[in-house]
Amino acid sequence: MVTQQDSPYNWGMVVDIDRCTGCQACVLACQVENNVPLNTENLYKQQRIYSWIRIERYWEGDFPDVKARFIPILCQQCGNAPCEPVCPVYATYHNNEGMNVQIYNRCVGTRYCANGCPYHVRFFNYWEPVWPESLRNQLNPDVTVRSRGVMEKCSFCVHRIRRAERKARGEDRLVMDGEIQSACSQACPTDALVFGNLNDLTSRVSKMSKDDRHYKLLDDKLGTDPNVVYLARVEEKVEEGAAAAHG
Amino acid sequence: MQQGRQLDEIRINKELLNGALETPGWWKWAVLLLGSVVIMGVVVFGIQTNKGLGVTGLSRPVFWGAYITTFVFWVGISHAGIMISAILRLTQAEWRRPVTRAAELLTVFSLLTALSFPVIHAGRPWRIIYWIFPYDFARGLWPNVRSPLVWDPAAIGTYLTGSTLFLYVALLPDLGVLRDRTTGWKHAMYGALSLGWRGNPRQWRLQTVAGVLLSALMLPIFVSVHSIVSWDFAVTPGVEGWNSTIFAPYFVIGAVHSGVSAVVTMMALMRWLWKWDNFIRPEHFDALARLLIVVATAWFGFTMVEMLFSLYSLEAQELAFRDMQMFQWPWAGLFILFLLTGFFIPVTMWLFKSVRNSIVLMFWTSILVNIGMWLERFLIVVPSLARKQPFVYTWGSYQPSFVEFALMAWSFAFVSMNMLLFARFFPLIPLFESKESQIFTTEMKIGRTTIPAVLREQE
Amino acid sequence: MASRITAAAHDDRPTFEEAAADLVNAKSTATSSASTRAFLILGAFVILGVVGFVMKIADDGLDDRRAWGYYVAMVSFLLSTAGGAPMLSIAPVLAKANWIRPVMRISQLFAAIGVLTAIMSIPLLFILPPLVEDEVRRRSIWFGSPAYFPHIWDTIAIFGLVFIGLALLWSSSIPDLAAIREGGSGRRQAWARRLAPTFIGTWGQWKSLRIRIGVLSAFYFLFLIFTHVLFASDYIHALVPGYKDAIFPMYHALTSLQAGVASVILASYFLWRYAGYNRYIGINQIWNLAKLQFALSLLWFYFFFSAFIVFWYSRTPQNEKVIELFDQGPHLWAFLGALFFSFIIPMWTLMWNFIRVSMRGPAILAAVIIFGTLLDRIRLAVGAWAVEGINDKFLQVVPETVWPDLWDIFMFLGMFAGAAFLFLLVTRLIPPVSLWEIQQSRLISKPGMYMRSEVEIVGKPD
Repeated sequence: MVTQQDSPYNWGMVVDIDRCTGCQACVLACQVENNVPLNTENLYKQQRIYSWIRIERYWEGDFPDVKARFIPILCQQCGNAPCEPVCPVYATYHNNEGMNVQIYNRCVGTRYCANGCPYHVRFFNYWEPVWPESLRNQLNPDVTVRSRGVMEKCSFCVHRIRRAERKARGEDRLVMDGEIQSACSQACPTDALVFGNLNDLTSRVSKMSKDDRHYKLLDDKLGTDPNVVYLARVEEKVEEGAAAAHG
Repeated sequence: MQQGRQLDEIRINKELLNGALETPGWWKWAVLLLGSVVIMGVVVFGIQTNKGLGVTGLSRPVFWGAYITTFVFWVGISHAGIMISAILRLTQAEWRRPVTRAAELLTVFSLLTALSFPVIHAGRPWRIIYWIFPYDFARGLWPNVRSPLVWDPAAIGTYLTGSTLFLYVALLPDLGVLRDRTTGWKHAMYGALSLGWRGNPRQWRLQTVAGVLLSALMLPIFVSVHSIVSWDFAVTPGVEGWNSTIFAPYFVIGAVHSGVSAVVTMMALMRWLWKWDNFIRPEHFDALARLLIVVATAWFGFTMVEMLFSLYSLEAQELAFRDMQMFQWPWAGLFILFLLTGFFIPVTMWLFKSVRNSIVLMFWTSILVNIGMWLERFLIVVPSLARKQPFVYTWGSYQPSFVEFALMAWSFAFVSMNMLLFARFFPLIPLFESKESQIFTTEMKIGRTTIPAVLREQE
Repeated sequence: MASRITAAAHDDRPTFEEAAADLVNAKSTATSSASTRAFLILGAFVILGVVGFVMKIADDGLDDRRAWGYYVAMVSFLLSTAGGAPMLSIAPVLAKANWIRPVMRISQLFAAIGVLTAIMSIPLLFILPPLVEDEVRRRSIWFGSPAYFPHIWDTIAIFGLVFIGLALLWSSSIPDLAAIREGGSGRRQAWARRLAPTFIGTWGQWKSLRIRIGVLSAFYFLFLIFTHVLFASDYIHALVPGYKDAIFPMYHALTSLQAGVASVILASYFLWRYAGYNRYIGINQIWNLAKLQFALSLLWFYFFFSAFIVFWYSRTPQNEKVIELFDQGPHLWAFLGALFFSFIIPMWTLMWNFIRVSMRGPAILAAVIIFGTLLDRIRLAVGAWAVEGINDKFLQVVPETVWPDLWDIFMFLGMFAGAAFLFLLVTRLIPPVSLWEIQQSRLISKPGMYMRSEVEIVGKPD
């Protein structure tokens, strides 16, 4: 096993629920960036869609006084991930940059990690993914296309991170704040998703993660210690919709 | 009261070797039928491997379904062997003797079947060997020993090895008998297998010591196997319906319940098919049914405590899971069926002596138990996943597909076919145990009544 | 075959007449100055215990939970040892075991100690924190039931268990009491006349007696599990917020069986060694009991580990806190003691047949196991009762352990003395070895020879 080394990086994300409008731009960006298979009508019917980041929508209040509440959920990159110890072949493990990494080559498809994951953010390739001819050239060459029988999940756009890190190493410096954005945070029109290095105390994401509104999904119950920090809605106490997921 | 007749040894040999030496007429047809189901299963598995697991009914978040249920079911059945031959041997229950071999055999074949299900269930079965063997010594990549899925093959492999040895050691004297009664290639085969068994006192002593030692050593394995299988579920904190501390003993006692019931089913079939009325007698069914009443009641108590404490925290998602499991159609129907078949119908019936002594009724009630026990595992595996955590947005449901049913049918056919193949070459009822039983059981006159009695060696 | 069995050359078991003479006028039960002195000393200790109890109330009152952990541990311990022991007269009977007969009565005599358990459980009702406090309902197995439910049901359970135990003891000693009525003397005979006025051993009487014992045994078993589930969850489990452990009541019940077997072994040893019952209790009983003890000691660890691995593996905050509270943190000393005395030492010794097949080995280990059970109960009860803020959702702070004060030690001494007092008191009336079981065992089994080896022929009636 790779020994844990100190790394200057601890990649994390802040999700500001207050800013999320539920527009699904992040979902689309992620789908395109990471060669996520197409969610066809059949897949929906089979309850097998892929959505590395998803917007959960909850209704609050009774008609006609109804409000929609949105919460984007992606892999929480848990520091104490329930999915990691259960994998028999180390196909998922924790790297020294705070990320929960999936190795497609090593995966044998026991799907145990998906059961262990309390956030429902792991996806299994039940079928061999196919793209129509017109979309073949759209596939991202930096990202592996997964075959049938393996698990996949949000990678925090690891290919972007690696590219930036390589570049920084060449210039003998650390990756600067704002140099990398994940596809979802890049696409977010309201800036609800902020990506960055939590080890860098001056980075935007570290500052935001110390906001009074911050909370982590299911952390107090399961102790998963996620690297994704949520900021609660402003105008009222977090209850009902978001809190239902907050647990 | 003693229903058994005193038979001489020649008669015992003749009757018990009727499966191995003179094949009954139905044997060929039964094997052919079961064999075709087995082949169908292999074909279906081939299709599944080719197309991907999409051909099953699995989804997100129900990533585990009928395959894992059937895996747990067969591991449960495998507990029959040790329960009958080791525990009853150590507690010196005389009535165990005619069923020891069949129970052991059921253990071996059901373990083989159980072991194949994780492979069937995996996304890339051709790479499954990575589970058990390190695949890259040079880079120091080893299987993750923290994963219960690595504990599983270790536990089941040990159990399989032990059971096979146990079966073989108990088979040795009978192989000697068969060697002396056959000619040609069969003679050579039995001769090689019997390892020079002559039946001299030293060999008998070694054989007995090996049997007792193996029984004692197998007991911890017996307990650990199903405990480890239960920990596949119990150590997952993210799934409320699984994360229960009671699972290990609960699963073990449930396994004994289903395993011993399977032995009852098998005994009835053996009595009917090979006409071994002299050896498998109503008194054996009676004793097994008494044992089953105790086991089933204990198991039911564990079920109740498990449910009580899973509701204990009264958390919303826990309630949602129980609501689905117990009150939503079709799960509610399955749940009621599970309670009725797993406990209420059979145990109520077994309370009556006339039921315990009726082979037909025992046959059907034991089948009911195993329907119930399969449903129990199913109701633990699936609704727990379908109602996992408070993310109601992704809660789901599950229905097994044709492929999954086909492979379940395959598993039953595979076990039965193997049993029949074994019975073609080896006696299903141990000859020497039956002869020993004739010595160890006797009768005793007290006043005007005669009661069955057993001999106990003084220490 | 059967005809090769011949009668043994000699049969040195006590005859009917000898057994009747020995047991009806048993030596240990006869009044003597030694036994009077024993009762006086034990009585003094019991008074010491009562003094300790009164002083405890005076010092700490009934509301300070931390002060009462050791008291709960005592009740839990009594419920485990004395409550578990009668099970031994039930389980092996189902397997038609013959060896159990001489110690059947000993195991049932422990039901008499239940009187002490019942008395000691009454103050528990006053110190049990209310279910609903300031409109906040704490987690319990009672969910939405009225607030007095735990008190009522726990009382029903414990008193019911004691009542059934005493009824079982009485029913199974009726034939012996009848023998004392006919052949005894003095005050014992008067008592026997009162307790078994009509039994003369007709076929019908025996049949109804057998049914009665069977029904009471089944009820005892069910009530024992019921009582342990209620006691373990109300007095220990529910007091630790965030603690959710489904196996815990079963663990409590199982360790109770282990401690019960240990109690019976110890009592049998004393009766064999000091009270002159060596013709009735022998190596065969101790050997078989030791095997059972070995199995139960292994199960101790199994049940403990089933919970531990789930808590340890899941690493959720509340589970880590619970492990810290009971196993690694302030109660490490009690946990290690329980682990060693209830599991590791018994396992590594009882696995050897030469130890099992001795009189002294299992007896010493029984004492060790009883001590281990005591430490285990202290670990659980003291740990649970030290917790502050039982209405929280999770255990926030792992409390320091509580050390026993002088009054706790007084109460401990009083408890042990009271148990011994009650046990000796009933043996003055009821023979500690059952006469009718011995007689029946003599009828149903006999020594014989098979070819040249000595065997025992044991009848297995339906």
